[in-house]
Amino acid sequence: MVNLNTIEPRNGRNYYIALGLEGSANKLGVGVIKHTRLPNTASGDNSHNCQVEILSNIRDTYVTPPGEGFLPRDTARHHRNWVVRIIKQALEKAKINDPTADIDVICFTRGPGMGAPLHSVAIAARTCSLMWEVPLVGVNHCVGHIEMGREITKAENHVVLYVSGGNTQVIAYSENRYRIFGETLDVAIGNCSDRFARTLKIPNAPSPGYNIEQLAKNCQHKESLIELPYTVKGMDLSMSGILAHIDSLAKDLFKGNKKNKILFDKETGEQKVTIEDLCHSLQENLFAMLVEITERAMAHVNASQVLIVGGVGSNTRLQEMMGQMCKDRADGRVHATDERFCIDNGVMIAQAGLLQYRMGDYVKDLSDTVVTQKFRTDEVYVSWRE
Amino acid sequence: MPQPFAIYSSPDITKKEFTVDVNNAKYHTTNGKTTGPSTYVLNAGQVDIDKPSDPKIDATTQQPTQLSQLRMSLTGLQDDINEFLTERMEIAKNKKLKTQDVKEEKRLQEEINELLDGGDDDDEEEDIAAAK
Repeated sequence: MVNLNTIEPRNGRNYYIALGLEGSANKLGVGVIKHTRLPNTASGDNSHNCQVEILSNIRDTYVTPPGEGFLPRDTARHHRNWVVRIIKQALEKAKINDPTADIDVICFTRGPGMGAPLHSVAIAARTCSLMWEVPLVGVNHCVGHIEMGREITKAENHVVLYVSGGNTQVIAYSENRYRIFGETLDVAIGNCSDRFARTLKIPNAPSPGYNIEQLAKNCQHKESLIELPYTVKGMDLSMSGILAHIDSLAKDLFKGNKKNKILFDKETGEQKVTIEDLCHSLQENLFAMLVEITERAMAHVNASQVLIVGGVGSNTRLQEMMGQMCKDRADGRVHATDERFCIDNGVMIAQAGLLQYRMGDYVKDLSDTVVTQKFRTDEVYVSWRE
Repeated sequence: MPQPFAIYSSPDITKKEFTVDVNNAKYHTTNGKTTGPSTYVLNAGQVDIDKPSDPKIDATTQQPTQLSQLRMSLTGLQDDINEFLTERMEIAKNKKLKTQDVKEEKRLQEEINELLDGGDDDDEEEDIAAAK
């Protein structure tokens, strides 16, 4: 039996307020949430039904020029220079005037992610904690995504597909752990599309993956796909070879290399393939691989639903393809959230952190707040679920 | 208000102190020399929209607020520390390169000598022995 009501809210209130700070990659997110202390969370398995109220959800993204990725040093600088301003905005929007009295817990991303940006945000979290005398909770970024997805969609009996710029995992819950059934063996799916966007030199705003999706939507030859490697390896997948392959195609296209028979007609030398076609084929190919391993994981754990989380989860084509697969399985359903909760944000860190806090698990010593670049999803003991 | 300071120590340097010089302009700005965007991204065409905010000026005294003063002093101190540490890194890197060069040369010479002596076969035998 799980009792989420063991810790008393501060100052005799009947609700908890959590501040969440996220900065594991190029997004700096600060969110404030509220959980009312409900009788139904005193027992049973109700951690996905806390009736969360989102008081504020502010995000600022570090955007680089077309053709460039984000470097750790400059991303950390962005977070350092904006974190105070963003926290102030988030508190103001949430109408928190006295953080010492009003906030129950400060949650921050402890990992996984890029070291320098993680470190910048952890320092901000420690400072706020000492200044306001509010306890801290270090959160696993992936668990943050999962808990936010569960709370928003209320999905039960599901397999989680976690797809973002840094992670690609198929996860299912079992005995207090989010267990990884399949994952990428090299680059993440979002990284694959981001790097292709760099080759194409398309803008990085709002996000490179979104721009690839838009190009793919405009593809005029959706019926014919360009042949790409299909690299599913058991429950895992590999995407670096696909990226190298499509990168070389794009480069040949830019150079006008007429010798390439996939791109140019053998006799007339006429261009057969456009950038839009490449984007479409890349998406179809990668998503088909994801659908395959997700379906296999569903069969393993006898699940009927899929919960898609992570930045790439906001891609409507991925949602559509996953939906088709689920429909073909009996009573299947896809749960996904929109960009506010899919793409990295502070609210998800607050949600997972507050659940952890309500189970009495918070930082007792500041030495436990050291961030870590490697922090696997299954390392976290999920005390808030049956 | 007391000025912030920093102390660095390591086995080869017992104590190196960094202090704020109030007459120096670098302790009166929030834009540090070493805390800007990296040259690489600037060359790639990055427009810097992530600068630290300017110091807040108190409406009555027309002077920067205490916290802003502290931010400016720390920006200067950070510059001093960064420059000092970069210098140390360069020294360490040069030392390492030099020793590596010497080692590499020695290794190559030994290899050549061995080949000239017909020592190639001996190596193979050793490899087999190691594999066992």
